[in-house]
Amino acid sequence: MSEIEETLKRISSHKGVQGIVIVNSEGVPLRSTMEAEKTTQYSASLLQLAQKARSVVRDLDPQNDLTFLRVRTKKHEIMIAPEKDFMLVVVQSPNTEA
Amino acid sequence: MSEIEETLKRISSHKGIQGIVVVNNEGIPLRSTLEPEKTTHYAATVLQLAQKARSVVRDLDATNDLTFLRVRTKKHEIMIAPEKDYMLIVVQNPNQD
Repeated sequence: MSEIEETLKRISSHKGVQGIVIVNSEGVPLRSTMEAEKTTQYSASLLQLAQKARSVVRDLDPQNDLTFLRVRTKKHEIMIAPEKDFMLVVVQSPNTEA
Repeated sequence: MSEIEETLKRISSHKGIQGIVVVNNEGIPLRSTLEPEKTTHYAATVLQLAQKARSVVRDLDATNDLTFLRVRTKKHEIMIAPEKDYMLIVVQNPNQD
């Protein structure tokens, strides 16, 4: 467990990191640094988006696969690292003062 | 028109660029450096993905909006720049020689 804690701490220490969520393949959040309501919202919608992205990649080339997804928005950037059994989501606003 | 050509040429000159597609809001490709079949495939599927991404962003925060989308895959990266009337898609493999 502590390895997960250390990783979350390391990521949180980067400038502008607003939140981290670890979601399992059913959309259930396993860990989060965000409040509960936001966590649930992010988990559900981003899992769907990651699944859609993966299916687009495989549609275009069945031998290819999604490795990372970066959603840049006006306010921040949402980074999604999909793994076999879970998904890591990090929200960062690079312009925020630490 | 030539400004578009210059931009496409400039982007194409980067290392590892495999293709560029300019798509309008209806998924119709306006310009492309890919062959027609691939162009249509990319145009249709990537437009859907960009629309889904935009709707997720607005869902999470109604005052926010999508500005860019990067889809990293094993073989390459698909970069999507959505604009009001069209969308620019660039496929790049930076590791290609």
